[in-house]
Amino acid sequence: MHKCEIEFGKMKWKNPVTVASGTFGLEYADLFDLSQLGALTTKTITPLPKEGNEPQRIVETEAGLLNSIGLQNPGLDEFIRTDLPQYRKFHTNLIVSVSASSIKEFINMIEKLNVQSGVDAYEINVSCPNVENEGIAFGTDPEVVFELTSQLRKATEKTLIIKLTPNVTLITDIAVQAERAGADGLAMINTLYGMAVEVRTKRPKLHSIIGGYSGPAIKPIALQNVYKVAQAVSIPILAMGGITNSDDALEFIIAGASAVAVGTYNFVNPLCTLEIIKGIEDYCVRNDMKYQDLIGSIQTKG
Amino acid sequence: MHFKKLPVLKIEHINKDYFVLGVRDKELTQKIKPGHFFQVKDPASRIPLLPRPFSVYKVDNDELEFLVKIIGEATMKLSHLSTGQDIQLLGPLGNGFPLVSGKKVLLASGGIGFAPMPFLEHKLKEAGNEVHFYHGGRSSNDVFCDSVENCTDDGTFGHTGFVTEYVEKYLDSTHIDIVYACGPEPMMKTLTIMCSKRDIPIYVSMERVMACGVGACCGCVIKIKENDSIVYKKVCNDGPVFYGAEVVWDA
Ligand SMILES: Cc1cc2nc3c(=O)[nH]c(=O)nc-3n(C[C@H](O)[C@H](O)[C@H](O)COP(=O)(O)OP(=O)(O)OC[C@H]3O[C@@H](n4cnc5c(N)ncnc54)[C@H](O)[C@@H]3O)c2cc1C
Ligand SMILES: Cc1cc2nc3c(=O)[nH]c(=O)nc-3n(C[C@H](O)[C@H](O)[C@H](O)COP(=O)(O)O)c2cc1C
Ligand code: FES
Repeated sequence: MHKCEIEFGKMKWKNPVTVASGTFGLEYADLFDLSQLGALTTKTITPLPKEGNEPQRIVETEAGLLNSIGLQNPGLDEFIRTDLPQYRKFHTNLIVSVSASSIKEFINMIEKLNVQSGVDAYEINVSCPNVENEGIAFGTDPEVVFELTSQLRKATEKTLIIKLTPNVTLITDIAVQAERAGADGLAMINTLYGMAVEVRTKRPKLHSIIGGYSGPAIKPIALQNVYKVAQAVSIPILAMGGITNSDDALEFIIAGASAVAVGTYNFVNPLCTLEIIKGIEDYCVRNDMKYQDLIGSIQTKG
Repeated sequence: MHFKKLPVLKIEHINKDYFVLGVRDKELTQKIKPGHFFQVKDPASRIPLLPRPFSVYKVDNDELEFLVKIIGEATMKLSHLSTGQDIQLLGPLGNGFPLVSGKKVLLASGGIGFAPMPFLEHKLKEAGNEVHFYHGGRSSNDVFCDSVENCTDDGTFGHTGFVTEYVEKYLDSTHIDIVYACGPEPMMKTLTIMCSKRDIPIYVSMERVMACGVGACCGCVIKIKENDSIVYKKVCNDGPVFYGAEVVWDA
């Protein structure tokens, strides 16, 4: 039996599969033992509680999902009090996704979390508006990403993962700056901007008009982003975007990802991560390959 | 909560708009309370992507049924299934209706809001309640059994007019301890106003478009009055049943 163990930053994963932030919670612990996953990733937490956006918040469109949840979450203190002790019960890595509106706020969050046990990594969600930079999302400006990552690097020894948005012109520039500033890994991609209109009423289907698009429809877009970035950096990539089964996951791994995450498809089949773990292991056995050798094994020549 | 693929045991078309879908599974039926729902999907079709929520219509020993109205693509595809084909189920989900015993109870449903009522009626009667059941539909097509007080907008079956008119008359003539409702929002809002005027508690089963169905995505929220503020609650997890007076209607 091939075990597809990996190292991701300072973490050791028993298999290369986790869940994407915001799409999977403790609710699913009722269904299977979450310790079976290589890692668990929390919903994005902000310094203070956030009530989220006005509904309508979700719309299904062709092979994908539009959402504008607006980072609804209980805030950092409540997360530490209520959710973290429950996450600690699982024997796997815990990646805490965080977001804030200034570098100082990000650092404060990391400092509070550093002293908690059971946190293995931070995933920095930089798709939120940055008030220090006149409302531009942190993740769209390479210099801002460099500055934020450098400061967070000084603030923690734990694994630091920067989650990239695809809604930029040159994602490799941003990835390279995150690596230069000391990130241990990259998570990609976050949702793409999308929209849907109700023709009968001429109204946008989402209250926020524009939302984030995810699910099978975005897989080719995510894949080329992962492929491009894998050519440009040497830190590991946690890939996500439309993964539904082990073949989807293998595409990303062959294109250069070290690990994968499932988001939207958890809503369709909450057990799909387990099927993906098995599918990847079976592939390695069938091809008599070490998992490490599979990463980035894409054949583009000849 | 369970995630299962089960063969369709029964698919029965009532008319062009409605059908009943049945499966057999003891583990599931043992856990179901009135008002629970399942996230249901035809696993063979990739589009639409997401499962759809359906209330439990009937539970009989190890058999479980849904009453489904054909609305769009997912319900249309489910209606084309044959017995023996697999369907995918996640559930039971939601809070369910809080049950009472030894009371005078009124059930009011509209259209496909009928779906959770027969099982609720059965459990309420089992617990020694006196149950009065009013159902309203647009036409005879939207009426599902003749053992209840049926009303149709066009008068093609039962009383002519909105179900709310007949419920109001009934509340004026008879003492009722508690009301349970499921149907279009304007109907549930009207019933809530009627009940609060008469100091009768009312529970309503709400509908929202869902993605996960379990409370993980925060997609299905509605506004609920809590203490002196208005908060978002998840229809899938905190509901779908809410205390009528706490719902912020027309939000
Ligand atoms: C808790 C709960 C229990 C339900 N129980 C039943 C039931 O027992 N029987 C039954 O027939 N239906 C029930 N519904 C409604 C059912 O889920 C929708 O009719 C179904 O999702 C429509 O899917 P579709 O793909 O056929 O239509 P779509 O193409 O998805 O939708 C067609 C139209 O219906 C709207 N719609 C989509 N989903 C919903 C929804 N969940 N609620 C209201 N409108 C929606 C869309 O916005 C669109 O305008 C329930 C809904 C909830 C939330
Ligand atoms: C309902 C929903 C909520 C999400 N919430 C978050 C979030 O809180 N933080 C975050 O970094 N990404 C969030 N995402 C993005 C996912 O983590 C993931 O990057 C994206 O959906 C692409 O993967 P998928 O196609 O497998 O869903 C959310 C996605 C969805 C569908
Ligand atoms: S549908 Fe996901 S939280 Fe209710």
